[in-house]
Amino acid sequence: MDFLAEGLRRGLALLLSGDPEVFGIALLTLKVAVVATIVACGIGLPLGYLLATRRFWGRRAALTAVNTALAFPTVVVGLLVFGLLSRRGPLGGLGWLYTWQAIVVGDVLLALPIAAALSAAAVQGVDPRVRRTAETLGAGRWLTAWTVAREARFALAAVITAAFGQVVAEIGAAMMLGGNIRGSTRTLTTAVALYTSQGDFGLALALGVMLIAIALVVNVALQVLQGKGGG
Amino acid sequence: MVELRGVRHRYDGRLVLNLDHFAVPTGALLAVVGHNGSGKSTLLRLLALLEAPTEGAVLWDGAPVPRHPPSALRRRVTLVEQRPILLRGSVRDNLGFGLRLRGIGRTTVNRQVEAVADQFGLTPLLERRRHELSDGEVQRVAVARAIAVRPDVLLLDEPASSADRAAAGALYRALAAERAARPFAVCIASHQLEDAYRWADDIRALAEGRLSPVTPENLFRVELPPGSGETKHARVGAIDIAVATDRTGPVVLAVPPTDIFVSREPLPSSARNVLTGRVTRVATHRPGGGVVAVTADVGVELVAIVTAEAARELALAPDAPVVFSFKASAVRVF
Repeated sequence: MDFLAEGLRRGLALLLSGDPEVFGIALLTLKVAVVATIVACGIGLPLGYLLATRRFWGRRAALTAVNTALAFPTVVVGLLVFGLLSRRGPLGGLGWLYTWQAIVVGDVLLALPIAAALSAAAVQGVDPRVRRTAETLGAGRWLTAWTVAREARFALAAVITAAFGQVVAEIGAAMMLGGNIRGSTRTLTTAVALYTSQGDFGLALALGVMLIAIALVVNVALQVLQGKGGG
Repeated sequence: MVELRGVRHRYDGRLVLNLDHFAVPTGALLAVVGHNGSGKSTLLRLLALLEAPTEGAVLWDGAPVPRHPPSALRRRVTLVEQRPILLRGSVRDNLGFGLRLRGIGRTTVNRQVEAVADQFGLTPLLERRRHELSDGEVQRVAVARAIAVRPDVLLLDEPASSADRAAAGALYRALAAERAARPFAVCIASHQLEDAYRWADDIRALAEGRLSPVTPENLFRVELPPGSGETKHARVGAIDIAVATDRTGPVVLAVPPTDIFVSREPLPSSARNVLTGRVTRVATHRPGGGVVAVTADVGVELVAIVTAEAARELALAPDAPVVFSFKASAVRVF
């Protein structure tokens, strides 16, 4: 147990000293997670709304596909994107492999099913009279969607939180696509794995604490935003 | 103004509405009566352009409505559902919802919201939220919210189902006042016949998704003469109907079809109304129910309900002579 306590002490000292490397890793993690969450939710929430409200051929199959994608292993997604972005892959020309953008692509693919499936469930949970009321009072397609989203705001905030949680804590795709390059693509999760394997528990713990702190801050921020929305 | 032609509407393959023609004319005050599940709410959703019929066409001013109607057209008709829901925000937000999305400025929206709130007695509730309102208040806010956008056609599904009699009366009076100021068509779906008689100019009956050939009851809009006598005589078409009432002025008379005695010849009885004529139609009222609706021209068209056995014994068939008798006290006055 001593080594854990010692590790925690070292970790806290590192955090308090404002170590530039530690904060660099944290900032990159935050950047990747925020960009991936915005992109995944920007596509996934409207997709979830369409899946929940539109009746079209293959809708049930699409819902099943999205729900199945929730269980996709991160390393499989990493492998797929690796194939796409590698020099011989169809998107190799972008030159994104082992950059933070590659991690974002992988994270988007991982968070997209979460955003789509959970937001479809959230919208399905909204009383159908809300949509009809907005429509009959003259709302067009977008305003109707906005009205429904306002009614489902708590559930949708939870969807965004879940998507963020997925990407910020994800390691498989980050490791395969980013390559854990120091000062370039090292994220909190890949760094924790690395320093743990090197026996540097203090640093690994410090980074773990930071990861939890980021998740906490983002959750609190989302809750504050919800609270401001009122009832 | 808005009409349905050859409409067959299905949910999961089940036929729920089957109408050759149904119209809400400009400025009409129409009631659709029928039991729960008769297709009233579906009919209103089609008229509100919220759903497109599985088969057939919806026409506005004679022109077919496309499957995805443009906003400008949809904004001419508003539906208040049977159990309406208020959107997030205050009563004020709800009353202004439709106005704001029409791009009307804040000052005008506030003015119009306050005017409609005043009309429907909602001014003290303006800042309340939905969980602070009773079901009756929610219904009143929903009707006011629909009126606020000044539709050409207002569709109300059981508008008084959550209100007590006094509140329902207030609701209908506010509606009448609004129509007096700005004529627009209203179509009310109700299972409460009394509401329909009291407030509508024209009544249609819906049964199992079809317009019923038999009106639910025999209705006449009449002028009752002044006087305090117990029995009054109201002129209906070519005949007089004896009515036991102390009401005077414009009223609606309803002769319950089950209260009419049907015979081949006049019978000595206490009935004050004995009308002779000829059968025009004999229809099974409810399939398998053993009940027959006999329509006869006795100076006006009246419908009587008799058992299938009685219809057979009296040999009731089109063109057969018939006598309809009913008591003055059987006539309902609204």
